[in-house]
Amino acid sequence: MNVMDGPEAIPEVVVPSVDVAPESQPVGWRHRHLLDVDGLTAADLDLVMRTADAMLEVLTRPITKVPALRGRNVTILFYEASTRTRVSFEVAAKNLSADVVNIAAATSSVTKGESLVDTVRTVEALGAQMLVIRHAVSGAPYLAAEIFGGSVLNGGDGWHAHPTQALLDLYTMRSRLGTGGADLGVAGKKIVILGDVLHSRVARSNIWSLTAAGADLWLCGPATLLRGFEAWAGRGAAAGRRFNVTSDVAAALRDADVVMALRIQRERMASGLLPSMREYAARYGLTAERLRTAHPGALVMHPGPMNEGVEIAADVAAGTQSVITDQVTNGVAIRMALLYLLAGVSHA
Amino acid sequence: MSGPDVDLNRVWLVDPVAGREGPGEIVVTDGVLKAVTWLSGAEADGVDATGVVVAPGFIDLHVHLREPGNEDAETVASGLAAAAHGGFTTVCAMPNTTPALDEPSVLARVRSAALASGSPVELLAHGAVTAGRSGETLAAMGELADAGVVGFSDDGSPVRSASILRSALAYAGALGLPIVEHAEDHTLTEGAEMGEGVVATVLGLRGWPVAAEFTAVARGLALLADVVVDVPGARLHLTHVSTGEALDLIRLARARGLPVTCDVTPHHLALSDEWVAGARRFAWDGVDEEGAARDPWADRAIVAGPYASSVRVNPPLRCAKDALACLAALRDGTADAIATDHAPHSDVDKTVEFGQAANGISGIETALGLVLAAVDAEQLTLLRAVEALTTGPAAVLGDRTRRAGVVGLVEGAPADLVVFDRSERWTVTADALASRGKNTPLLGMELSGRVLLTMANGRIAYEAPTPTDGQTRITSRPGTLT
Repeated sequence: MNVMDGPEAIPEVVVPSVDVAPESQPVGWRHRHLLDVDGLTAADLDLVMRTADAMLEVLTRPITKVPALRGRNVTILFYEASTRTRVSFEVAAKNLSADVVNIAAATSSVTKGESLVDTVRTVEALGAQMLVIRHAVSGAPYLAAEIFGGSVLNGGDGWHAHPTQALLDLYTMRSRLGTGGADLGVAGKKIVILGDVLHSRVARSNIWSLTAAGADLWLCGPATLLRGFEAWAGRGAAAGRRFNVTSDVAAALRDADVVMALRIQRERMASGLLPSMREYAARYGLTAERLRTAHPGALVMHPGPMNEGVEIAADVAAGTQSVITDQVTNGVAIRMALLYLLAGVSHA
Repeated sequence: MSGPDVDLNRVWLVDPVAGREGPGEIVVTDGVLKAVTWLSGAEADGVDATGVVVAPGFIDLHVHLREPGNEDAETVASGLAAAAHGGFTTVCAMPNTTPALDEPSVLARVRSAALASGSPVELLAHGAVTAGRSGETLAAMGELADAGVVGFSDDGSPVRSASILRSALAYAGALGLPIVEHAEDHTLTEGAEMGEGVVATVLGLRGWPVAAEFTAVARGLALLADVVVDVPGARLHLTHVSTGEALDLIRLARARGLPVTCDVTPHHLALSDEWVAGARRFAWDGVDEEGAARDPWADRAIVAGPYASSVRVNPPLRCAKDALACLAALRDGTADAIATDHAPHSDVDKTVEFGQAANGISGIETALGLVLAAVDAEQLTLLRAVEALTTGPAAVLGDRTRRAGVVGLVEGAPADLVVFDRSERWTVTADALASRGKNTPLLGMELSGRVLLTMANGRIAYEAPTPTDGQTRITSRPGTLT
């Protein structure tokens, strides 16, 4: 893993033509796998954003399909339940004309005790060239990447990382806050991630991408769900990746430009981290009243799936400031962009 | 049967019993240490501590030999071969086998495997504290003591309840044996994957709090203080202590006269939690001027992929500050011994997701290399390092070793020693390890202090081939090998 460098001068990016196969043109992308966003440079981020722009254009066409990945096998191997991310990857791969194989671990040989290593070898032998993996154990995609001959895309691992989510979040912010091109629109903007940060791979990946993009990032939630992040923030500040950690929701939301609420899971009560959903909703729920303390027009985001009435009020989720459905659409464009860019990398 | 003859001329001798080190010569005739000569003046010119060193054979208070029950990972024979390769001539096996070593028949089986291996390395064993290590009822402690166990432990886990631990301290104390406690409060470590701290937070791994060791050590010390009033022979040995906080508590307890001893492992004193992120620097290279752990990402110290299951171990690798606390505890005597917690595992149990991998490092063959790295970094003196590998653990075992507590370079006794070359580096590879467990994060790394010869009880336990002709270099004269 490499530290993502801070804001830097970005070389001119060659936006690929997405209507042709990625290996048929020079594209400045060198990463074989996408395991997290921490290894991406500012130039990498810019390339992903601009490629996603091109993919979003494809999605506006009458036929939302290009032949770029025709004949390629994209295998989607999910060890955790998921609708949004799995379908988003599937739609993205199909829009690029890839052949898609879906494997849900619950209905596979995994239930017979097959190891991850054997499963990955098996899907490779069955023709997988790109592997999208989601796993409940942090770091599992790194093990898959060690043995898989093609490219691995992390579709979410444990509490650790959800790189396509962080990139679609950044893309959504750029669309609304940026002026286009290399301007990601988040530099100096107050962005609040509110909720169960401790167990959130979305929060962790967003820390890397948003601090690198120069955002004024705030993490907010009950103290039990922020444990360890204060120390990370202290180290990050020393390395030029500043972010704030607080349990004071009023201070966090004041004049915020973006508020991203995270899902609260019922298991948090059973493990003694929270007294009740009701108390959480009262103290940390993103309500219209709380949102009024943010910057007028502040964006409301949520990676989904939502517990409406708990971490986010239904009227806020469906309100004019919400870009939650944009996130879903942008997710397809971002995943198309990443599949495309990774497919162009030689594995020789 | 005649024993080997060995002459070692102009080498650096370390005798922890005499508290002495310096240039000298060793003569072994027919397996017996005939002469130990200390050189001085012109004779000693050019001999220093950076070349070939001779020390008494090392004693390891804590190894897992996996037999019976998990011979894929290790057998008594392969474990004793690994010990000899690491310079150890006495090892104490932990009882968490399958079945557990909770009655004399299991001990007999392990001993017969040791005999059949032909290894001269001395095999000692700890018996389980509770039957089946279940934490519920006491194991056959008296019978085990009669059969010759050297202590009792439910290692792998702490003794489950305070009341059982209290009984065990009293019962074992009356037998003259220590309780060897794995200090971990399980209620704080359920699902834990690595040491709690910034690295765990960044990697999204469940943290193992420092407090889980502290409270377990506090429990043990409180019970020991309680029991020792009635049972003066009660003794507690805390194994693989890994945190500065727990070591501070032990330091205080020793100052108050409680009969407590402890050991630290080579990996806890030399490595740190940033290895899980892919850093591969020693703990003393990963701290700032105040001794606090530095940021491996900001330092660009990440040189390997993250989540290598070979660094998953219990207790977990802690932050660099804790590693330095382990070294400080060795320097001031709070820690009596370095024990390896040699924990071999098969690939089946290790080549899996980090969170599902077995805990443990195969460490008995790399222990000396890590300890010498600490010596090279001036974190320990060579003499203190050797003490912690010889006289320190011998004192914990009392007179129950073959050497009956005398682990110096003693003339007239069967040779029991290790010869290593600090100027010679070796690469840790799967093939270089005699252990069946190849689960070490040091694979591919170079360590100094290659072991040239290990002699146990007057016999050759291990001898390094020379790189060129495959011949052994020290006892290559005809007729000298047993």
